[in-house]
Amino acid sequence: MKRVFTKEKVQMALWGIIGLMSILLIWQISVMVTSLGRIMPEPIEVVKSFLISSIKPVGRYTLLQHMLFSLLRVFVGFSLSGVSGIILGIAMGRSKTINSIASPIFNMVRPIPGVAWIPLAILWFGIGETTKYFIIFMGGFAQVVVNTMSGARKVDKTLVGAARMLGANKRQEFFRIVIPSSVPYIFAGLQISLSTSWMAVLAAEMVSSYKGSGWIIITGMNNGNTVQILVGMISIGVVGLGLANLMRIIERRLCSWRIQGQ
Amino acid sequence: MENTGTVTAKNIMIKCNSIFKTFESKDDENEVIRNFNLEIKENEFVVLFGPGQCGKTTVLNIIAGLEQSTKGEVFVNGRKITEPGPDRGMVYQTTALFPWLTVMGNVEFGPKSLGVKKKERRERAQYYIDLVGLKGFEKHYPIKLSGGMQQRVGIARAYCNNPPVILLDEPFGALDAQTRYLMEEELGRICTKEKRTIVFVTNNIEEAIYLADRIVLLTNCPTTIRKEYIIGLPRPRDYTSNDFLTLRKEITSEMDETI
Repeated sequence: MKRVFTKEKVQMALWGIIGLMSILLIWQISVMVTSLGRIMPEPIEVVKSFLISSIKPVGRYTLLQHMLFSLLRVFVGFSLSGVSGIILGIAMGRSKTINSIASPIFNMVRPIPGVAWIPLAILWFGIGETTKYFIIFMGGFAQVVVNTMSGARKVDKTLVGAARMLGANKRQEFFRIVIPSSVPYIFAGLQISLSTSWMAVLAAEMVSSYKGSGWIIITGMNNGNTVQILVGMISIGVVGLGLANLMRIIERRLCSWRIQGQ
Repeated sequence: MENTGTVTAKNIMIKCNSIFKTFESKDDENEVIRNFNLEIKENEFVVLFGPGQCGKTTVLNIIAGLEQSTKGEVFVNGRKITEPGPDRGMVYQTTALFPWLTVMGNVEFGPKSLGVKKKERRERAQYYIDLVGLKGFEKHYPIKLSGGMQQRVGIARAYCNNPPVILLDEPFGALDAQTRYLMEEELGRICTKEKRTIVFVTNNIEEAIYLADRIVLLTNCPTTIRKEYIIGLPRPRDYTSNDFLTLRKEITSEMDETI
């Protein structure tokens, strides 16, 4: 078995903690001795509030529940954009006809960021959950399509030839060559899509919602409560970091064949 | 199986019938093969030997069905070749292994495609993995193997469908000299154990003489057959024996004239 805590890893972690501590220290000192104190709360206050709001509700729910609501929205929207993006991406990558039909429309819609759909989404779907799903979907869809498409296009012709020499038919060629060789590209797309989804949900929650991390920030602003704003922002950072790590672990599992060494 | 009158001799496995190949681009025509005729007997080891870029690989790809001839036909086992198929195993210069599959996954790819039951194809794959000397590496991914080991997987994969014909396209061209000698020895050993009709493309004269029953010397582009040599040396062959060196000198001087 390999050791999880190597000396080097412990050292790196220590440096990380030192970095974090120094930022907090500089912040604390600045608030105490400069005029920054008028616009920024003490870090201690923020950490305290962060911990308290995990138990005591902010609005109707606790901080953790707010984070879970946001995550649930991302989960739904991201799943929709992921699945449909992979399907469209592969279709566009493998079929010239489908590509010719879809790419002009797609390339026009692609530069429009997810948040630009908010007004239209509210008019169409009201201010309910559907609106959030839609915005997240629009935010993440294009990235999945673009990456999947380039993966499906870059399939090595030699490998396709090799598969056919071994007796693979068209269907096997698709499922056993095209799909697996596109997986790394699909994954890169999903990774970007997940982070834009996470941003899109916050934007959507800031515009219209009564729960979620975005809502915490916006009510903090409305009440002039900087502590609450910062608590909301930190919760976003924590969840975002968690999601990115989760994706990396899944990627390492799925694409272990690409990793050299060990 | 479609039998045609063109192939009559009983033990002819591969027949190339006046093959022509011209690559056409927008305003350019590049004639690569001109009137190539060859008959290869069952279980014969034929080396297509010629200068670099002379179209050897194109001949091989046409036999494989990966490329189409402009004119002329190829018959394998009496059947006209129009597309790739599992009756011909192929070993590539760049290994062309499926990087997302383990050694076992690669070797059993063929039988799996043809619907062979798991237990049987595992057994068969294991046999060939052992044969090429990769026992214990079944679960490794290709990226973790050395160049020589990757080519061993490629050879096992080509054999595992049990094709009567194996085509090898400069399989050891990318290996260092030491590994190359070793792999030539290994291939020689495998071929004595598992008799197949083999077409082997190379531009390395030592390799050609070491392995071949017959060397087919090709001309420069557009290529055709210049001369054929039956290699009668006893196996396993010795790179440094007098007969070997004489033959080497003879073929090399013949080739030099063509360049």
